[in-house]
Amino acid sequence: MLLNSKLSSRRRPERWPYLFIVPMLVTLALIFFYPLVTVIRDSFYGGSVGGLSYVGTANYVSLFHDPIFIHAFVNNLKLLLTVPVTTVIALAAALILFENIRGWRIYRVILFLPYIIPATVVGLSFSYLLQGNGILNTMLRKLGLNFAVFDWIGSTSISIYSIGAVIIWAQLGFGVVVLTASLLSLPNEVSEAAVVDGATRWQKHRYVIIPQIRETIQFLMVLEAITALAWVFPYVYTLTKGGPANSSMVMDLYIWQYGFGLGAIGLAAAAAVYLLLLSSILIFIYSRLRRKQTSS
Amino acid sequence: MIFSSFKRASLTAVLSASVLIVLAACGSNSSPTAQKTVDPYTGKLVYWFWAESDVPGSTAWMQAAIKRYEALHPAISIQLVPQGSDTLQGAFETTAQSKSGPDIAMQWATLPVLTPVWRGQVASLKGLVSSTEMANWLNTSENVSNGEVWAMPLYLLGQPFVWNKALFQQAGLDPNKGPSTWAEFLADCAKLKAAGITPITMGDKDGFFGSWFQGTVGTQNLNSVKDLQDLYAGTAKFTDPKYSGYLTLLAELKNKGYINSDVSSIDLTQGWQTFAQGKGAMTWTTDGNVASWIKAGMGSKLGVQSVPKVGTGTLSTFYTATQSISAFVTSWSTQKEAAGAFLTWIHQPENLTSWYNATKAFPADKRFDSKLITDPIMKQLYALDTLPNQLWAENYAPPQVDSQGLQVAGQAILSGSSTPTQAAAAVQRVIDQWRTQQPADWKNYKTWAGL
Repeated sequence: MLLNSKLSSRRRPERWPYLFIVPMLVTLALIFFYPLVTVIRDSFYGGSVGGLSYVGTANYVSLFHDPIFIHAFVNNLKLLLTVPVTTVIALAAALILFENIRGWRIYRVILFLPYIIPATVVGLSFSYLLQGNGILNTMLRKLGLNFAVFDWIGSTSISIYSIGAVIIWAQLGFGVVVLTASLLSLPNEVSEAAVVDGATRWQKHRYVIIPQIRETIQFLMVLEAITALAWVFPYVYTLTKGGPANSSMVMDLYIWQYGFGLGAIGLAAAAAVYLLLLSSILIFIYSRLRRKQTSS
Repeated sequence: MIFSSFKRASLTAVLSASVLIVLAACGSNSSPTAQKTVDPYTGKLVYWFWAESDVPGSTAWMQAAIKRYEALHPAISIQLVPQGSDTLQGAFETTAQSKSGPDIAMQWATLPVLTPVWRGQVASLKGLVSSTEMANWLNTSENVSNGEVWAMPLYLLGQPFVWNKALFQQAGLDPNKGPSTWAEFLADCAKLKAAGITPITMGDKDGFFGSWFQGTVGTQNLNSVKDLQDLYAGTAKFTDPKYSGYLTLLAELKNKGYINSDVSSIDLTQGWQTFAQGKGAMTWTTDGNVASWIKAGMGSKLGVQSVPKVGTGTLSTFYTATQSISAFVTSWSTQKEAAGAFLTWIHQPENLTSWYNATKAFPADKRFDSKLITDPIMKQLYALDTLPNQLWAENYAPPQVDSQGLQVAGQAILSGSSTPTQAAAAVQRVIDQWRTQQPADWKNYKTWAGL
């Protein structure tokens, strides 16, 4: 009987360790799952707070026919163009710093500084810089470069690209630091072997170094893509407020404007669900790519 | 057996006593004679304040006024939280969703106040401020719904058309005569431009100029407020040239180069700063800004009047004026009586005088002594602000239609990205969207408008 009870106690799984992760699960449920469920639920309601009524999928259909939302969606896709640009510039800067040029640590700090400046400060500063008669255009006119003078944030055709340029400026430092750290963790022997074998600097970077940090580059690109989709609100709000005439509207500003500015909770929630789906697609693509690489 | 009976008896006694205590407590709460008298001079109030953009110096005045009030009533404290123009409505809507935040808040008159009223976010002033006190306030009709006044006016605000006399003289124009018709206005613009002077300087990055242009020029072919209410209630269409014709006029000004080239990349306040720097000859502004320009020594250079006449409707004879911002008590405030007492105190004659002396903005109160106005330009503006025929058309637009429709239409025209026809269609689409997305607000609007 004693032997049987000993055997059965060995087979019975220990449950008490799970108690240690309960606080984390509760926190996760409160800060992630509960808001997620609430947003999805609210997306099926119309009206404003205090007067919500069930409307089914009307909000989702309405967004399909809302030219402002479609334009915001397209603008977010345009801002995805900042991802390869930021990555390429950051990689080039990291590779230069990796050459141990004199003062590379100072340059790394200078490149990283824009990243630690709050986005609202960046946006406000650039809003003065990029005005029609702002500092940039004044300097260009003084240098006789009138052909390069544009209404950077007051033109409906280029305002979104001006915002993209500001985002690249602000996010570049993060990429440089991440890639530099990755480069510094590489073993020297591989690069030295390539040099001994007669590889040029370009060949060494292209065929030896960059392939070794491919996963870091992919991770960086996914992070930058998520930023371009869902974290550009402070830049857009301070630079253009989504204008002129909604030309630089983006999805997270749309959600804020309708949800918090105008009280259309349901519509904003439906837009948030669309944004979540878009981000999920990107993360799914990244996961599939990672899995392919791991298996190969 | 005796012991179990004793236990049963004790338990019954304890339970009975508990029930009696609970009943006594409930009874004492419902008994009228035991109700706590609310002291309106005790507690802590949070006041979300906006006026600085209209009236430079108003925030400092209110902070000083609060200190005086707290000195008079040491048991009360008031925290003043200044609000920004572009977050005024959004911030309130956000806090209203959690039913927490300020005890006193401010919104622009009429629809920006009445929309929160209809959503149950505002407490009626009835019972908080006496009717004899409210009888002294001006323009309270702008915030009436269901026969009750919901918000307190602080000051009168006009939207004068202002010109720089020195620049007019430079261009060979009569410095003492502003354009009274649209044809004269265009002729003046042409002469100023020929002299190398920017005719009109404004800022529209935040979109307000578009609404203002609609309010001052766009309503001149309408005959009454009802025409505006018909538009938003759905019995008229914005694409009717009666409503949208002003977009063609705005496009004309833009295409002829009469408006500053950076209008789309600077906001309203920055546009006014450009005017004050002498970089433009004409602008639309507020009384408070004119007062600050006079204080800065520009008085002799300024001419003021109402907007040039372009329409033929009855409203073309109206001046654009309002109480502008209105203060109200929030429905979730636990200090409603204290808030009402403070709002009443703000309107006492000594405070009206102090307000005017500090800001030169006209208090919205019959008890204000207009003899305090000595500057000739300010006298002119006060006469305009107290005209019986006045209207601030933007106040009648639902906030969503104003921000997503009228303001965006102005931006589309000024940035050159839309034709007037396209912009008008976009505004109508926003009006239709508002009715679909906010059916309760639309229903309340129609009831309020008597439709």
